Amino acid sequence: MFRPFRAGLVFALLAVVSAGAADGPVIKFTDVKLKNGLRVIISEDHTAPTVSVAVNYYVGSADERKGRTGFAHLFEHMMFKGSENVGPGEHPALIFTNGGSMNGTTNQDRTLYYETVPANQIELALFLEADRMKSLDINKANLDNQRGAVQEERRLRMDNQPYGKTFEVTGEQAYDNPAYKHSVIGSMEDLSAANVDDVATFFKTYYAPNNAVLSIVGDVDTKKTMALIEKYFGAIARQPDPKRPDLTEPPHTAERRSTIEDPLARLPRLDVSWIVPPAQSADSPALDVLSDVLSSGRSSRINQVVVREKQLATSAGAFAADSKGPGLFSAFAMVAPGKKVEEVEAAIYEEIEKVKNGPIAAWEIEKAHNGARRNQAAQATSTLARAVQLGEYAMFYNDPNLINTRTDKILKVTAADVQRVAKKYLTRENRSVVITLPKAAPPKGGQ
Amino acid sequence: MKRHLFAIALVAALGAYVEGQQAPPGGATTKAEGTVLKNKAPVNKDLLRVKLPKPQEADLSNGVHLIFLEDRRTPQVNFSMIIDGAGGYYDPAGIPGLAGFTATLMREGTTTKTSEQISEQLDRLASAVSVNSGITSPSATVNGNGLTNNIDTVLALMADVLMNPSFPQTEIDRFKARTRALLMQQRTQPGFLASERLNKVIYGDHPMARVSATPASLEALTRDALVEFHKTHFVPDRAVLGVTGDMTFEQVKAKAEAAFAGWKKSGAALPAQTEAAALSGPSVSLVVRPNSVQTSLRVGTQSIERKDPDFFPLTVANRILGGPFGRLFEHLREQKGYTYGANSFFSSSRIRGAWTASTDVRSEVTDPALTDLLAEIKQMRDVPVPAKDLDNAKRAIVGSFALLLENPNAILANYIDRHFYGLPADYWDTYASKIEAVTAADVQRVAQKYWTPERLQIVAVGDLAKVEPALKKLGTVQVFDADGNPISK
Repeated sequence: MFRPFRAGLVFALLAVVSAGAADGPVIKFTDVKLKNGLRVIISEDHTAPTVSVAVNYYVGSADERKGRTGFAHLFEHMMFKGSENVGPGEHPALIFTNGGSMNGTTNQDRTLYYETVPANQIELALFLEADRMKSLDINKANLDNQRGAVQEERRLRMDNQPYGKTFEVTGEQAYDNPAYKHSVIGSMEDLSAANVDDVATFFKTYYAPNNAVLSIVGDVDTKKTMALIEKYFGAIARQPDPKRPDLTEPPHTAERRSTIEDPLARLPRLDVSWIVPPAQSADSPALDVLSDVLSSGRSSRINQVVVREKQLATSAGAFAADSKGPGLFSAFAMVAPGKKVEEVEAAIYEEIEKVKNGPIAAWEIEKAHNGARRNQAAQATSTLARAVQLGEYAMFYNDPNLINTRTDKILKVTAADVQRVAKKYLTRENRSVVITLPKAAPPKGGQ
Repeated sequence: MKRHLFAIALVAALGAYVEGQQAPPGGATTKAEGTVLKNKAPVNKDLLRVKLPKPQEADLSNGVHLIFLEDRRTPQVNFSMIIDGAGGYYDPAGIPGLAGFTATLMREGTTTKTSEQISEQLDRLASAVSVNSGITSPSATVNGNGLTNNIDTVLALMADVLMNPSFPQTEIDRFKARTRALLMQQRTQPGFLASERLNKVIYGDHPMARVSATPASLEALTRDALVEFHKTHFVPDRAVLGVTGDMTFEQVKAKAEAAFAGWKKSGAALPAQTEAAALSGPSVSLVVRPNSVQTSLRVGTQSIERKDPDFFPLTVANRILGGPFGRLFEHLREQKGYTYGANSFFSSSRIRGAWTASTDVRSEVTDPALTDLLAEIKQMRDVPVPAKDLDNAKRAIVGSFALLLENPNAILANYIDRHFYGLPADYWDTYASKIEAVTAADVQRVAQKYWTPERLQIVAVGDLAKVEPALKKLGTVQVFDADGNPISK
């Protein structure tokens, strides 16, 4: 239950943000835990008559057992198929009918459910989220139906798309640890194998209040909202804390490389991935700035040199992914017609070496700093963005205040830091290269 | 390019629903229950009625119409110059894409700055200036945005790009090489192939049929054509400057007046837009995309112009049929498991737009999925919608206005539309009541008017052997390859 100002309570009121940091307002919030372990974060914002509710469950594809890849996401679909007091499909129907929007999304580390509603429907949103946390309705007809939808989702996003297979092979080759090795969507075979017992076990294990964070941002009164949360979520039973997957990745000592053929593609594509530390590690801000120098905006080095000047690629870039465990720093390029993939690969490595050996111009670092400031400012325009971030920061790092402090970390990064992390991580031994070549389709009848 | 938590996570991650199955063991199709309402949830019966904030408007001395919405939540400002007459709709005959080429290349250098200098200056300030022109849009848009304390620099660059582009030949050559590849690549996308064919059967030879520049129009592109298109079409005579953000109206007016002072009216009239020829009957087309594991199904037809009074009943009818969790989604996904998504939408502008229903299904169920899709359209024509469906759709449309208040740019877009289409001054104040006035008879009337079998154009993209038999049941099938060429059989 909700007991304000007692021992054991986590209560965050924000420190003053250091001068010269974040543009835009400091985001204030309350942060408490119910008796059953549900962490609740509320941030009032009365600028629009709307409220966003995010429920983050600490379970993703990294938690899947062998033979059940894709299950966390398939399960996410089941969460819309009804519970004790809510019929199948009633949750989305009620949210949309009352002027709101909602969805769910799954990645390697977490499963997120969210809705944004007119502020006078906050009770509806809380009731719907609580009912499915408490009492999911599990039956085979719904499972078979959503298995169908998810297998179609896989075809839509991957099997019927050029380079869809590339995306999957990239992860499989870059990781040794099975947690992150497989795709979130999972294999057709494993999706077909999932059964109602899997659903029931997964629900009991992971969909517990003590494995979730409820975050709310918008036009609400904190005290009244807490009373509603206590009413709807307070009696949901705590479960034993689930075991977290071991995400550690053994050191990589030799380059990995493969070439695949894609009958749906018309141009070759290059994908290079380096293993980097988990997000929010000491080196993460410098890796973010490194990705800005290489790839942020048209002035970035890869775009300016590889795409524009040398015209080796029609598009190319680099990005650092956010993940709870070891992440991927990735570079990619679509090879221009008539150019060789080897040339493109060499050109990208050349740009990386130039970063390692300097110089990096002051404006390139300033670009990254200002980019972080702009992102900090932009988050104030969406209640949903803030609700999602507060929830994830609380769940992964026990620090929702990262929403206010993360920009400061970027602002401290120097050119020397960028060079240090480039040298440390973007090495030959640590890289995994996937080359995709178009495969001419065999002649079909009717031509 | 950082993977910013939110934007990417929600787009690239797997979601339960799009806005837009392996057959279970035994190969049978499971029919799930679909939506069931238990009606136990605490719904606030009061629909939150909101009034959209009113913009401030003024005409600049060169004729540009300024529409401004103040937004003090964040220290940012967004300027959008919408230039009527500079869109792809006005591409010269035989050069589809010229407006788009011009828009893209305007950003690649001015009389005083190279493309690199513009990029470095903007990127350093985490700001952006871009120019876009949709292939069938009547207008082009020049956008500039940044943090408030840099906005003077951004505005100066935006004005420079708009008024003084130099179209360097080296940039034109680079652009051609890159675009050649993009024109090739887009043909790998089933959605592109479907749009290309569907637009053709809906609009015939009309400019609205275009979906993309062509290799021929790209090769024919010259610097002279760019200079001429820019000079003739990028004029302030009918332009609207939409602004949102962290400033006062007086500040915005003064800054815009100064920035665009050198931009002079041409005095030339805007060529009239013409309507496409009426549809001559139904059609069935198949675009063969080898190695497809899904069939992309599209059913489309001509819709209405923006000012048509049918806009309100068609909005409600379309919501019931193909909106979020509408009948198409409910039937094809939630009951049958054929697809990840099924929806429909319609466009409308100064001239007649299009209406399209879309779903992508595994190749094996092409026949039943298409049958069901057409059956849902037929039901809209034949059976008046129950009161509950009607009320829910209207409540959803009216209720969603509250969420707009988080997004001043979306509200601004409404006011720009009002100006652009010459809608009444109180249009957005009366919108909700006009939606609420729609009856079941109105919905059935527009379904019968626009979604008759004679008007429906069917397009499928996928595997020849798996798709053709299903299509043949519906009429003579025109077959094309993935390069858009007819295949004679």
